[in-house]
Amino acid sequence: MVSFIAGLLDATVQAATVLLLAGMGELISERAGVLNLGVEGMMLVGALGGFITTVVTGSHWLGFGVGILLGMVLALVHAFLCITLKSNQVISGVMLTLLGTGLTTFFGSGWVEESIDGFPQMTLPLVGQYLVGIPVIGEAFFRSTATDYLALGLLVVVWYFLYHSNLGLEMIAVGEDPEMADTMGVSVFRLRYLAVLIGGGFAGAAGAHLSLAFSQLWVPGMTAGRGWIAVALVIFAQWRPRRMLVGAYLFGLLDALQIRSQSISLTLGPDAPLAGVINPVVEFLMTPQIMGTYPYLATIIVLAYAVIRTKSDQLAVPSALLQSYSRETD
Amino acid sequence: MNVAVNVDAREDIPVWLAYGTPVFTVLAALAVSAIALVVLGVNPVAAYATMFVDTLVTEFGLTETLTKAVPLILTGLAVYLPLKAGLFNIGAEGQLVAGALAGTWIGLNVSLPGLALIPLMFVAAAAAGGIWAGIPAYLRAKWDVNEIITSLLLTFVALELQSYLLRGPMQGGTGNFPQSERFSEAATIPELVSGIHAGLLAAVAMVGVTYVLMTRTRLGFEITFVGSNHEAAQQAGMSKFYVYLLVFVVGGAFAAMGGISEIAGAQGRYRAGFEPGYGFTAIPIALLGRNSALKVMLAGLFFAVLFVGGSSMEVAFGVPAALVEIIQALVILFLITAEFFKSYRVGIDITRGPAETPARPQRGDD
Repeated sequence: MVSFIAGLLDATVQAATVLLLAGMGELISERAGVLNLGVEGMMLVGALGGFITTVVTGSHWLGFGVGILLGMVLALVHAFLCITLKSNQVISGVMLTLLGTGLTTFFGSGWVEESIDGFPQMTLPLVGQYLVGIPVIGEAFFRSTATDYLALGLLVVVWYFLYHSNLGLEMIAVGEDPEMADTMGVSVFRLRYLAVLIGGGFAGAAGAHLSLAFSQLWVPGMTAGRGWIAVALVIFAQWRPRRMLVGAYLFGLLDALQIRSQSISLTLGPDAPLAGVINPVVEFLMTPQIMGTYPYLATIIVLAYAVIRTKSDQLAVPSALLQSYSRETD
Repeated sequence: MNVAVNVDAREDIPVWLAYGTPVFTVLAALAVSAIALVVLGVNPVAAYATMFVDTLVTEFGLTETLTKAVPLILTGLAVYLPLKAGLFNIGAEGQLVAGALAGTWIGLNVSLPGLALIPLMFVAAAAAGGIWAGIPAYLRAKWDVNEIITSLLLTFVALELQSYLLRGPMQGGTGNFPQSERFSEAATIPELVSGIHAGLLAAVAMVGVTYVLMTRTRLGFEITFVGSNHEAAQQAGMSKFYVYLLVFVVGGAFAAMGGISEIAGAQGRYRAGFEPGYGFTAIPIALLGRNSALKVMLAGLFFAVLFVGGSSMEVAFGVPAALVEIIQALVILFLITAEFFKSYRVGIDITRGPAETPARPQRGDD
């Protein structure tokens, strides 16, 4: 049981990193007022690009960088359509997911059989070697891949950037009240482009982490809705980076549970009371495909709960989200 | 030399632009997708020739296209109707799967003559699809929970459920394939003419129903009004709650009918993974046809040509059929780009010699 929980936590950290990276990118983009529903597509492009680069060059970090870059390329399309051409953000985002899925299925078909050694596990620098011996949680939290540490570090950077840097505060202002920000001399156009590009880079990084560290292989459509869960996560986190951490680990746990559950049995012994009733139910609930529905169902339930429970003035949805901005009053 | 880009809001849309947009859009998408073909070393002209000529000239191609069009038109309507009310149904795929599963269960477990059984299968499918769509609709109508995310996530749930049922309780036939038992004669949708099953009539009938609903009834007017300005509509005494629920549930029922007619008409048994993303293709179909249900039907037929042509291209050239997905995405991309040119007039002024004032784009948002 202890080794099961340790293994589960290990998988949780890896799965949470995917959601944390994608969620942070989405959060930045939405804070500036641009909804990006193309995360799933950008993740897939990042995952395939990172994977191919790593297979060809043997360098994980080069692959990771290419993943980020490709996420940004798709994000540039989104930015151009939504900011410059003032297109509908929902349609543009969904289209980019479709495009990312299509492009990676098309060009990735020859790479399905390839295998790589993913990012190596390493102990946290400086203090890791002392902490890794802690029972149950030590291995999971202090011996991980570099990208897991990077994601947590970036969360601090994002939090600091949004609330304590001029650029970040300007970005929030642009998402709340673009007219006002414009009057104050902030370039709405430039800041929104920047936010969407950063968001795309994070999505690409999430995808590259997925193929290079989490799965260590390429399969078409391997994101399996994680990009959409990241979008839901931002609503759950109420556009605040710190709550994002809680959400990412919660959903990471569900993701990990589904993968690891086959190795554990929760059925009662035949002599236990009500075993005849409970065991079939437990067995049904533990079927891999039924467990596969849990992350999605949980996202819907948690999302609904977060929205219903919170009064709209506390929800902190950026006021100008989904609104394109132009100086002419139209 | 001095170049200035002028962007002015248009007062009205020229006729050639209004009617030419879908055509330009599709041509541009095909042209850009050709790059992907060139990258794979395939001659795009030959590939497109196969894609369209085989589909439109041969009898096999035409019957295949009309058969494929049935689920595409119905899922297209499933996105079109909520779109009219200002909602995005990105989960038509899940509604289609949920409906197909429910209809298949009736088809395999109820013994009735075909005249009663097939309508019952359609009713069961429509109910399941309606419920599946009703969940995001209720959450949106009652609590403002984002319907895009919830409807999409329910698609993943439906696909997992399909995989569970076809490997477990509903598995049939020989071998270990995730598929159901073959339908009996009574549960199979009869053919209209050779190769084309009667599900096509259902699709055309639902296009008619939607057309009449949207153009001839008060309810259709309310849907459009809520879609264009839901606050004003509520002030006028219309119920946003009721409209939101209605368009999604009816849409889900449409998608579900598409699912069961594909299974009981074209496939003959439920095979896991029978749906090559109909629910996602429904999005560009609804966007291309968003002015009228009749245009949704035309767009559905066009995408059916792409799908059938895509598979004949796959056979002839070994090109992944995912090219169809790329073309779909590019169609939307150029469609929303065209929206910009519909609402703004873009002029480029080029004057010789040094400019008196530095050239600045007068776009207004820089």
